[in-house]
Amino acid sequence: MFKNEEMEINLGPQHPSTHGVLRVKLRLDGETVTHCEPIIGYLHRGVEKICEDKTFFQGQVWTDRMDYVAAISNNLGWAESIEKLFGIEVPRRARYIRTMLTELNRISSHLLWLGTHALDIGAMTVFLYAFREREQILDLFEAFCGARLTTTAFRIGGLREDLPPGFLKQAQAFQDRFLACVDEYETLLTENRIWKKRTVGVAPISAEDCIAYGVTGPVLRAAGVAFDIRKAFPYAAYDEMEFDVPTATAADTYARYQVRVEEMRQSHRIVQQCIDKLPEGPVMAKLPKVLKSEVGEVYHAIEAPKGELGYYLVGEKGSGNPYRFHVRAPSFVNLQALPKMTEGKLLADVIAAIGTLDVVLGEVDR
Amino acid sequence: MPMTLTQTVVMALIQIVVLLAVIMAVVPIITFAERKVIGYVQVRLGATRIAGGHVGITGPINRAMWALGRVPVFSILRGLPIFMADGLKLLTKEDVIPEKADKLVFILAPAICMVPAFAVFAAITFFPGAEGLFTFPASFPIVGGLKFMGFLTDINVGLLYILGVASVGVYGIVLGGWASNSKYPLLGGLRSAAQIVSYEVPLSMSLLVPVLLVGSLSFRELSVKLATEMPLVAAVPLFLGFFFYLTCGFAETNRVPFDLAEAETELVSGFHTEYTGMKMGFFFLAEYANMIVVSAIAAAFFLGGHYLLPFGLQSQLIHALGAGHALNQPSILFFVGKVGFLLFVFLWIRATLPRYRYDQLMHVGWKFLIPVTLVNLFIAAAIKFVWM
Amino acid sequence: MNWLKAFNPSDIAGGMKLTGKRFRQVLFTANRRKVPMHFVAEYPEVKVKLAPRYRGRLTMIKDEQGEIKCVCCLACEKICPTQVITIIKGKKEGRKMPFPTRYDFEMERCIFCEFCVESCGFDSIILNHQFELATYNREDFSLGMEGSENMFENSAVGKFSVAE
Repeated sequence: MFKNEEMEINLGPQHPSTHGVLRVKLRLDGETVTHCEPIIGYLHRGVEKICEDKTFFQGQVWTDRMDYVAAISNNLGWAESIEKLFGIEVPRRARYIRTMLTELNRISSHLLWLGTHALDIGAMTVFLYAFREREQILDLFEAFCGARLTTTAFRIGGLREDLPPGFLKQAQAFQDRFLACVDEYETLLTENRIWKKRTVGVAPISAEDCIAYGVTGPVLRAAGVAFDIRKAFPYAAYDEMEFDVPTATAADTYARYQVRVEEMRQSHRIVQQCIDKLPEGPVMAKLPKVLKSEVGEVYHAIEAPKGELGYYLVGEKGSGNPYRFHVRAPSFVNLQALPKMTEGKLLADVIAAIGTLDVVLGEVDR
Repeated sequence: MPMTLTQTVVMALIQIVVLLAVIMAVVPIITFAERKVIGYVQVRLGATRIAGGHVGITGPINRAMWALGRVPVFSILRGLPIFMADGLKLLTKEDVIPEKADKLVFILAPAICMVPAFAVFAAITFFPGAEGLFTFPASFPIVGGLKFMGFLTDINVGLLYILGVASVGVYGIVLGGWASNSKYPLLGGLRSAAQIVSYEVPLSMSLLVPVLLVGSLSFRELSVKLATEMPLVAAVPLFLGFFFYLTCGFAETNRVPFDLAEAETELVSGFHTEYTGMKMGFFFLAEYANMIVVSAIAAAFFLGGHYLLPFGLQSQLIHALGAGHALNQPSILFFVGKVGFLLFVFLWIRATLPRYRYDQLMHVGWKFLIPVTLVNLFIAAAIKFVWM
Repeated sequence: MNWLKAFNPSDIAGGMKLTGKRFRQVLFTANRRKVPMHFVAEYPEVKVKLAPRYRGRLTMIKDEQGEIKCVCCLACEKICPTQVITIIKGKKEGRKMPFPTRYDFEMERCIFCEFCVESCGFDSIILNHQFELATYNREDFSLGMEGSENMFENSAVGKFSVAE
């Protein structure tokens, strides 16, 4: 008597909460999602192919534009993978400054995630509070390298310039007020009954599934796997830093929220250690005038705010640019888990799941 | 003095015009207040200027507002002209009707939403006193010497009328969502229908507490007797009922944390996604008018209305000080102040809380609010039986 | 007894207290006489202070004699990742070094990475502190050595600023 129809709905590419140009094709039975298919590619620029035509020095500007909320992490991965290819030893001071800036960038990326995720779920105010602190971090980036978002911060072999005068004082001022600000976000969310209802048990994905899909970063750690490349394969100055890898076992949206908030506190701790123990010395290694690569390949992964960010480079004899360049983008890999997390759940959970995966479409599409 | 038919009609017309003018003036001010309150909560400034910069017609306005930014207290008023700009914008926007929409229903829906929201005001008592707000001077034609009362009508089933008429408004939302012939509005309309049907029940049940305690359905009688003739224990069900009523009121008006029908981050704009211009403005007007109604009912029944103290505690003060004391006099300022505070709470909540999920909303409505309002009703009945 | 927790409003009250506190703080300081508690700059009238290393628009520098410092080594042209700089070498009377007869800069594709400045061995170009670079005409983005849109002064494209 009643006709039972499923409704197909396009969430995006223009939608307030798909964080850019993600399109999710949903089949809805009432409000229940029966089929979910992320469709990507709206922001494809061919970064990997472009970089094969550019010199090692120039390629960095494209890494800025992949994960544009964590440009410094991308810069670090690019610089370090090329240093690995050429066997360049970076001075200790430069490694410390890189670590400090990368951790500040992790905080700013997590702040943006927290703000937009809370906004997706309906809590408007956290967004502005998070942006308040993010703004201070961007000011630090501006003081260091002159740009706020697309930083192009590092150079192969070290840094272009040392820290500007007054930078450490400015960074310390940020450090002094940041922990109280994290408590502020937590006051608004952690115990809030609506926030808990919207996140506890929502969009779960088990550790086995995470590993099967290749999901990394906070999503994996919230499933109970303490895998952090900063600990497992230390790079920059992480082997000299003391920090914990926060994990949770619930593997749901709330656990990911807790893990990321705790990661912000740990990043704060690392930045403090960098400020306190910052060694003196040069910031740039001795480099040949022109970088000409030998035949060789290198894979270098760093722990970007979203997960394992890997750069795969193949060198060609006598060439100034990479023969092959590939990015293992954490957002791209993590996004695969979206159907697994949302099928059979409600429409509102899809929004929470997109938020909790913390995808940046610049990185997914590259 | 008995009034002739002409006098009654003219008087009613004057009151209706004044009432409509006040609502039409207050609603845009609430939208302005919403920008400002949420702005201040989020450590920013909210609206401080209108589009157009420092040149042309907008130049003097913007320059004046920039100068106002130096004045300590009045700097809140920066950006006030934005409510006129908003209205102008809505009026002059292109009115788009989707090609596949059901045109008649699409056009009717905003009106169905707005008319009940305004009609409800007819039964609301803004000032209960028999002396009225003021008396027209005798030289006035037709209505000279008559009192301008603080209410339009005082029908003996006022509360039933309010509940009945207010629930017609949901048809506007459902029909608007359906007639748009688009997927997001349809989902928004369906959510809204389910939500309002579910929350009617606990809303009425929490309003039954004052009805039971007083034994009347007339708005005016309720608001006066609830403040002045209550035993001390009646404060318990009134206090609890206030929070239950406010929760249901948030759901009835589609405000955060129950704004599922709009749910910007899920359904784009929910039921009014396809609406433009003044048709969308009608939905907004209805939403804010409903907010005023909910606040007025909460203020009148639970917060002591035109008297100073809430939850029926004023009767204790009358016992202690005598009815003639200055603190025991009704004033429209108390009422306006309480309504204003409740409207502020609406905005404050919006800036603080996240949004429920659809099934959780139903869960809260059916499994939590209905039982607790029933228990509250039972407490009120027991008080009525034992103490009154 | 889990349902009893629903009657404990401390979670919501905590959040309301915080937002109420922020509202109060900003309400009483939202004027220019007080130390502001809000975090916004009222942009066209009040401009934020830029860091000394800020990367704005590319500008050519002249030395004390008013002579263009660029010697056409083409380092900036080579290093530029988006190839927005085109230089044509030329000669000028009474100058030993090569002189740029044309220095074209296509700002619409410039990504402000400062690689050109870094590569310049003669300090003849810098990125200035101009960030208001929007314009109505695409042609305004083509900067050269002559005309109203030139490489030596701030561009006239900051015409949206309404500050008096």
